[in-house]
Amino acid sequence: MSSNSALENMIGKVLDQKEAELISQIDSAYQESLDNLESSRGKLEAERTRIVEAARKQAENLKRQIIGSARLAARNQELLTIENAVNKAFEEAKKKLQASNSQDSYKELLKHMIEESISAVGGSNAVIIECNKNDAELVRKVVSELQNSGKVQQARVSDQYIDVLGGIRIKSADGTMTYDNTLDSRIERLKPLIRKNIAQMLRGVE
Amino acid sequence: MTTTSYGIEYTKVAELKGPLMIIDGVTKVSFDELVEIETVDGEHRLGRVLEVGFGKAIVQVFEGTTGLTIKGTKAKFTGKTMEMPVSQELLGRVFDGLGKPNDGLPDPIADKFLDVNGEPMNPERREYPTSFIQTGVSVIDGMLTLVRGQKLPIFSGSGMAHNILAAQIARQASVVGTKEDFAVVFAAIGVQYSEAQYFKRSLEESGALRRSVLFLNLADDPAIERIITPRVALTVAEYLAFDLGMHVLAILTDMTNYAEALREISAAREEVPGRKGYPGYLYTDLANNYERAGRIKGKNGSVTQVPILSMPADDITHPIPDLTGYITEGQIVLGRDLFRKGIYPPVNVLMSLSRLMKDGVGEGKTRSDHMEVGNQLYDAYSRAQEVRALSEIVGRAGLTGVDLKYLDTGDKFEQHFLKQAPDENRTLEETLTRAWDVLSGLPEGELTKIKEKHVRQYYKG
Repeated sequence: MSSNSALENMIGKVLDQKEAELISQIDSAYQESLDNLESSRGKLEAERTRIVEAARKQAENLKRQIIGSARLAARNQELLTIENAVNKAFEEAKKKLQASNSQDSYKELLKHMIEESISAVGGSNAVIIECNKNDAELVRKVVSELQNSGKVQQARVSDQYIDVLGGIRIKSADGTMTYDNTLDSRIERLKPLIRKNIAQMLRGVE
Repeated sequence: MTTTSYGIEYTKVAELKGPLMIIDGVTKVSFDELVEIETVDGEHRLGRVLEVGFGKAIVQVFEGTTGLTIKGTKAKFTGKTMEMPVSQELLGRVFDGLGKPNDGLPDPIADKFLDVNGEPMNPERREYPTSFIQTGVSVIDGMLTLVRGQKLPIFSGSGMAHNILAAQIARQASVVGTKEDFAVVFAAIGVQYSEAQYFKRSLEESGALRRSVLFLNLADDPAIERIITPRVALTVAEYLAFDLGMHVLAILTDMTNYAEALREISAAREEVPGRKGYPGYLYTDLANNYERAGRIKGKNGSVTQVPILSMPADDITHPIPDLTGYITEGQIVLGRDLFRKGIYPPVNVLMSLSRLMKDGVGEGKTRSDHMEVGNQLYDAYSRAQEVRALSEIVGRAGLTGVDLKYLDTGDKFEQHFLKQAPDENRTLEETLTRAWDVLSGLPEGELTKIKEKHVRQYYKG
């Protein structure tokens, strides 16, 4: 009986000791986890700040990119619209030019063009003059007047007509030199400058 | 590029020789005059007069002479040099190597037309470059600082990451602490289609295209076109800088392809070849392009140039890098060893130098310790390389404690400072913080190039 009670006492002591030990371990683990939590709070905070900062940077980049692309797309659309309007303006101008070859000023222009062209190909009078069918008669008349005044001698108006708005094209007799003084070629030459003026008008710039 | 013109058309083609066309019986023709060529099929090409005399004109055909015939080809001499229409509307546009639109949009509406050959900058009117350009690339900003108006080439080798670096600089470059406008003119000379698309996409996706103008001459475009690409690009850069007052960064890649085209023309003209077959005037020709960078007294803008050239066989003594080095104000050299180690950007700092850095950094411009930190990094990395070589002979065990610190510093320099992602844009502050992280691995006493007050302020050892 007494040995049993001694054993029970012993068991009780061991249990108490283990219990105390376990409680102490639980306490220390609890304390440790609190410490860990506390220390990771700082790390987490830093990590959170880093992620937020990176996201903010990314969002800013994205915003800049979206706004930039949208502005560019709008600008490109504006360029296409202006170009369409410029082309329409040129078409209208060409129609008007085509209708103007009966005016006196056109005859003067042809005279000037022939003289200028002959001078450009080296002043040689042995040239062939090309023009469109509508202008042929007027060009022959102008050439004849120039020949009568002695300014042009061996110029010949070609029977081969060219498909142009107006003006003339001059070829040297051997065909190796051509000087294009048609209205089409003049428009093409001045087109970049005229485009600017039309675009300025469309944009309301003085 | 304007193609509309007025002039005499000749049909007497005497000879076609490589990229050259010789026309007979011409009069009143000038050097550098623009020529419009029409093939038998009605195709239009452009050329310019290289030589005139005895009734003949030698014309360099930009799109090449393939398909041209002696009979039936027409050449119209326009009476003017090649011109580029310029206006602010060029920003955000993409052109080919001759300056023709390549983005499906119409020709730009021009404020004015400028001769693509430019005019040499009057040396007396030049202003010394002293203002910093941030590229967002640590090794450039920290140690090889780019200054507004400077010409700083990148010497690379075949297959290395120069185009990725070029695109990164184009995307990220900015002038810090000022509201002045900044623009990038990017000229790709003889690049592959995929590379051209990469440049374009890279600028589009980053939103940087709206402040950029791109000129793309592809590898399959005629080599002769490459002669014009940098000239057209620099003409636009000059207009943006000196007419509109913008700070312009002009990136020209790859100038080796430009020099190859020059050699091709020279050979066709039967000129006496110089080194490696390049013409004797290669230096002058390169200088004509490079010297278009700078600042002008009394004007707000600047043209900063970063020409990129790939050194054949990584040979820095090759005529192209050699002559470039005489003209430019320093160089950034990419190293094959670093590239093989997977380090991007693989800048070999010990062979690189920015001659104008000292005038563009420091108190009031960047940060007071900037120059000293740059110098100390050079010193430390140089010593680390020596120690690396020594350790290969004697092993780590044979090194002193200080040597070991240098060895670690060398590794940290490459991994923490030099290495950077192609889409990583570092501020100067971040760059200098990283530099101090590297330098703090050394004993304080080793930082002999930095003032004590800066060591006290930034050293983390």
